[in-house]
Amino acid sequence: MSGVLLFGIGNCGRSDDGLGWAFLDRIQQQAEFPEQVEYRYQLQVEDAAMVSRADRVIFVDSYQGALPGGFQWAPCKPSRDFEFTSHVLAPAAVMYLCQDLYGKIPPAELLLIQGDCWDLDTNMSAAAHQRLENALESFSFHL
Amino acid sequence: MNTTTQKITIDPVTRVEGHGRVTVQLDEAGKVEQARFHIVEFRGFERFIQGHPYWEAPLLVQRLCGICPVSHHLAAAKAIDQIYGVDPEDLHPTATKIRRLLHYAQVFQSHALHFFYLASPDLLFGVDAPVEKRSVGAVAIEHGELARKGIMMRQFGQELIKALAGKKIHGITAIPGGVHKNFFPEERDYFLQENATPSVDTMIEWSKEVVGFIKDYHDQHFRWLDSFASYPSGHLGLVGRDGALEFYDGRMRAIDTHGEPTLHDVHNDQYLKYFGEGVEKWSYMKFPFLRHLGRDEGWNRVGPLARLNVCDYISTPLANEELQEFKAYTNGRPNNHTMHSHWARLIEVLHCAELIKELLNDRNILDTVERPPVNRRPEGIGIIEAPRGTLIHHYKVDEKGSITKCNLIVSTTHNNEPMNRAVRWVAQNVLDQQREITDGMLNQVEVAIRAYDPCLSCATHSMGQMPLMLTVLNADGEVVAEHVKASA
Repeated sequence: MSGVLLFGIGNCGRSDDGLGWAFLDRIQQQAEFPEQVEYRYQLQVEDAAMVSRADRVIFVDSYQGALPGGFQWAPCKPSRDFEFTSHVLAPAAVMYLCQDLYGKIPPAELLLIQGDCWDLDTNMSAAAHQRLENALESFSFHL
Repeated sequence: MNTTTQKITIDPVTRVEGHGRVTVQLDEAGKVEQARFHIVEFRGFERFIQGHPYWEAPLLVQRLCGICPVSHHLAAAKAIDQIYGVDPEDLHPTATKIRRLLHYAQVFQSHALHFFYLASPDLLFGVDAPVEKRSVGAVAIEHGELARKGIMMRQFGQELIKALAGKKIHGITAIPGGVHKNFFPEERDYFLQENATPSVDTMIEWSKEVVGFIKDYHDQHFRWLDSFASYPSGHLGLVGRDGALEFYDGRMRAIDTHGEPTLHDVHNDQYLKYFGEGVEKWSYMKFPFLRHLGRDEGWNRVGPLARLNVCDYISTPLANEELQEFKAYTNGRPNNHTMHSHWARLIEVLHCAELIKELLNDRNILDTVERPPVNRRPEGIGIIEAPRGTLIHHYKVDEKGSITKCNLIVSTTHNNEPMNRAVRWVAQNVLDQQREITDGMLNQVEVAIRAYDPCLSCATHSMGQMPLMLTVLNADGEVVAEHVKASA
């Protein structure tokens, strides 16, 4: 899995918002895991530089809403969709900046895992745990 | 807005760190009667740290913020050192140097973040630019070279923090009386050479360029920059024993709007004697002031502009040269031009780059740090200059070492009154008696606030989503316009 860059987005102190980080924790326990994993509370502009050096990128984030089967893989295409806020960026906006600033755009995917609970808690809900397992199982097939 | 309909649509206004609210009160003729900058987040960090062992403080309090955690980590560490039994001058020299290196990296990256990500859209596209241009994304698209350098400068600071603290955010460097780990040759060499992250020499060159950029910008826009949201004020910051600009450990100096000293290089231990904190029912953020001058006269600006006003010189040559030019612009008198904060901030970026190079080349930076034996005391006070200004941490512990009291006066808290003055200036000079209030006019409220680079989550120690809200009230106190933008 050389050249695969895996971003986990979220906050493990906010219950199911920690799904992205939990995914990274678990994937690193596997025999063959992506050589570069990055934990993020939120994506920022400088992540575009890191993406520009990768062969392939996967963003893993929790999702507030219903997903068929509890998780979803989707292509992450560049989009000039900037939040008018401090500095948080969506994965698609990071891909857009990567293309614009560095003239590169590696293949990228977004893995969303459904969450239910967003309270201050370091534990995830039971349902989120099960969805995490299912998403992990899909990962090896997906690659 | 057409005032006859008493209806305003205000577009999002953000790019500050935290959750704030601006209210503008109009009278019956549409004239601005009052303008306030409210902080409506709940403050709780000082309370819930009570009962924790003292050595946990530098680890816990840095979670106040994701932008300047290093500042809280080091201010707490300096206080906890004293509880451990070590004064700053007795800390192992290499421990002091490693902490300073960490701090300079933090100031460097935080200032780069603010200028390139938050402030530059206002300067490059104008304060009345359309909403879609008011983001770093637009800067990246239309000013790619500037954006690429900004990204790499922030990355340099972040990578240096990671090398010293293990993580870019919420890492560990300082422990009571020392540092968690040594700095290793391969870690040091990475920043002296060109890699995926450019070298410190490149950082110095780019810092010079961006100072040049802001000076050129000033030449072209001096009328606006010299007048916008400007007002007389006092200034507060740390200085070294010889009056040099100081970020990590110094004495508190304050001057009034004419340059007369109001605080004469006071030691950390004396802060309670000199500082009071006022409260208002409309804000959770307090209003610090110098007790001997009173609430009305004793408030001060803090941050880059204040620091350059109170210091006599800068210890590094390139930044000092820029400081002299900066001071010459106001003929050596205090600079009260709020928008010159950006100019001052970039001079500090250059200073930090020079300081980082000095420390990377310091022959003792790789030495092994030894901790002195513990000699417990009941109390500790740590004061540093965070990117946004003077940061005060004060802890008391019981005989078991559990924290019994914690007082934090955060940089942005000092700037509470100044930011309110800035908002009032915009209300009176831009919004007053306007038949139609445009989005560009309202953005100027934020431009004034942004000059202070406020960290509102630090100042109130909040959790959760952090929108900035702007509300306009009519003479009857009814809301005639409101806009909220939730940030992630």
